[in-house]
Amino acid sequence: MSVTNTIDPNISMKALLEEYPGAQRALFRAYHIGGCSSCGFAPTETLGAVCERNGQLPMDEVIQTILAAHEAEAKIQISPSEVARRINAGEQLPLIDVRSREEWDTVHLEESTFLTQELMHEILSSWPKDRECIFLCHHGVRSLDAASFFAGHGFQNVRVMSGGIDAWSVEIDPDVRRYHLE
Amino acid sequence: MSVPEDFSKRVEDAVKHPKNIGELENADAIGTVGSADCGDMLRMWVKFRDVDGGRVIDKATFQSFGCETAIAVASVATELISGKTVEEVLTMSGEELSAPLGPLPPLKIHCAQLVEEALRSALAPDIQPERPREVAPTLLQQFQSTTKKSQKIVLDALNE
Repeated sequence: MSVTNTIDPNISMKALLEEYPGAQRALFRAYHIGGCSSCGFAPTETLGAVCERNGQLPMDEVIQTILAAHEAEAKIQISPSEVARRINAGEQLPLIDVRSREEWDTVHLEESTFLTQELMHEILSSWPKDRECIFLCHHGVRSLDAASFFAGHGFQNVRVMSGGIDAWSVEIDPDVRRYHLE
Repeated sequence: MSVPEDFSKRVEDAVKHPKNIGELENADAIGTVGSADCGDMLRMWVKFRDVDGGRVIDKATFQSFGCETAIAVASVATELISGKTVEEVLTMSGEELSAPLGPLPPLKIHCAQLVEEALRSALAPDIQPERPREVAPTLLQQFQSTTKKSQKIVLDALNE
């Protein structure tokens, strides 16, 4: 297996995201880039150009941040069994479901809360930045985007339930029906 | 990536005692930037006064949604620009506008840019900052995606 320890600053953002799927999350967590329309980037822009117009970010540091993204994302994972253990121990976890309303209506965990626009604004404006927030989705990918979005807004204790609600169905509670999108 | 403690302290002080916060009645110019969805919306009001046949900034105020650092930068910036001409303010970078807070950590540079852009929006609305025309799907769009109309949610068979 080849080990890449650098990224060409002339790489397009589209190519960067294809090669490093966690790059956008890493850029938002560290530099507030790519989170919403006002801080977004074009797929055709180069990484160097994005760094240049965002306060001339240090290229080497940005590249190392992207390369370390996988490790950073592994650290924020929490397994369904650990979530279940803490719920059974009586902890009131902020377990936030970021799936679509339709998916939520089909199946959800009793202990979770659906992320509405109102809840998102409440979290951003009034929740303590060190409060633990555990995000979940169908398979654990969208929740990584959500966790990175809140981390980029200064939330220091964001977690992602690995494998999402699908893993919960398989590992914890088969009464929570599995589903797929067609 | 942690934020230096002395920077956090200066921001905390500025947020506890913000200067020039709130709408400015009879403002001569208003600028708004950012997105409430991203928690980074900032609006600034500016009022001028005549001095020696010229025009300088008499007072500037702001309102910010969400980000504490943006509040801190806007607070110090509104004090810094008082008495300056429009031309002088338009030459100031985000770094200069946030100088009293000390160097901003990389994660917070966008906060100073937000203040710089809000001032530009108020003082030179015809000159828009360079932004990409086509924006790649953002994190917000990715995790707030709804089930597509063409998609069906199908429950899997129960295991015996």
